[in-house]
Amino acid sequence: MTEPFASSSPAWIQGMRDAMPLLGGYIPVAISFGLIATQANFSVWEATAISALIYAGASQFLMVAMLASGASLWLVVVMTLLINARHVVYAPNLTPLLPPGRSWIALMHGLTDQVFALAHHRLPAIPLVQRRGWYTGAAILAWSSWVLGTMLGAVAGAGLTQQWPLLGEVMPFALPALFLVLIAPRFTSALWIIVLMITITLALVLALLQFTNAAIPVAAASGALAYYALNALSTKRGNSHGS
Amino acid sequence: MEANSWIVILLCSVGTFAIRALPLIWTRRHLARQNNNEDKTLPTWLGLLGPLMIAAMFGVSLVPVRHDWIGAVATLAGCITTFVAWYRSRTLGKPVFLGVVVFGLVTFACTQF
Repeated sequence: MTEPFASSSPAWIQGMRDAMPLLGGYIPVAISFGLIATQANFSVWEATAISALIYAGASQFLMVAMLASGASLWLVVVMTLLINARHVVYAPNLTPLLPPGRSWIALMHGLTDQVFALAHHRLPAIPLVQRRGWYTGAAILAWSSWVLGTMLGAVAGAGLTQQWPLLGEVMPFALPALFLVLIAPRFTSALWIIVLMITITLALVLALLQFTNAAIPVAAASGALAYYALNALSTKRGNSHGS
Repeated sequence: MEANSWIVILLCSVGTFAIRALPLIWTRRHLARQNNNEDKTLPTWLGLLGPLMIAAMFGVSLVPVRHDWIGAVATLAGCITTFVAWYRSRTLGKPVFLGVVVFGLVTFACTQF
């Protein structure tokens, strides 16, 4: 069951309200990025521009580290785009839920992992005419928090992390909590429970082994293979019982 | 920052945007072609990948900032709280808020002992 859409408030406000939990994960990481970028000799404006234009967490950290270490420029571009390649399956999953319009192409700049997960869960419950407003509100809030968090980190990151070290540990838990709420309604059958548990466990193990960037596509692809294998097995058993 | 670095930033920006936006155009064309004959449908594997990518993101995000028993206990407590709150309310914001609060309280309590 999905939370009902409050039609009394404008769609973009509802989108911002739904995206609020993302801030707990975005702001501490953005502050860290701003801090690391300035430590790698990027100015405040350069760090902010990277967050505003590229807007893709993990790949930004890698890009800044590689540029600072003097890596080949083409290698930096290839590695950054490889990390972001997982985003290629997000828009196709959302397309059947989106009303027609050219503005959607520009709005795809805001399609991060978290915004995709939120939109995939929420859009079906939102009236078709209000979906653009909802998505715009959610995406702009997430993007602004990332850009402003980077700026804050670049200006005052060192002081903030020294003053409130526990806050930097606690706030990022908003992301796993949000993802848990987004996938919880999918635990509807034995097949889905097994497939989701395989995917989650594999992703966790790969992340613990420091293969964080490969973890998401590899675990999702393995989960899909498990789904097809288990589905074929159950169909085969059904046929053998039937005959 | 050198001019070369700006070129890298611009190339990465354009490339990342293309990765996000071009599949939208391709899928719309695919669905428009299909719409002439039958109902709009995506290939099964593509529809399957959506929820599985979210499940994988959940798995990756479970790795806490602190890699010790306190991080593990706080993560477990936070996840249980979030799930129970979701099961009771079936809403989005309240379970996330309660999960973060319990995660923070457990982390704080464990670091005191």
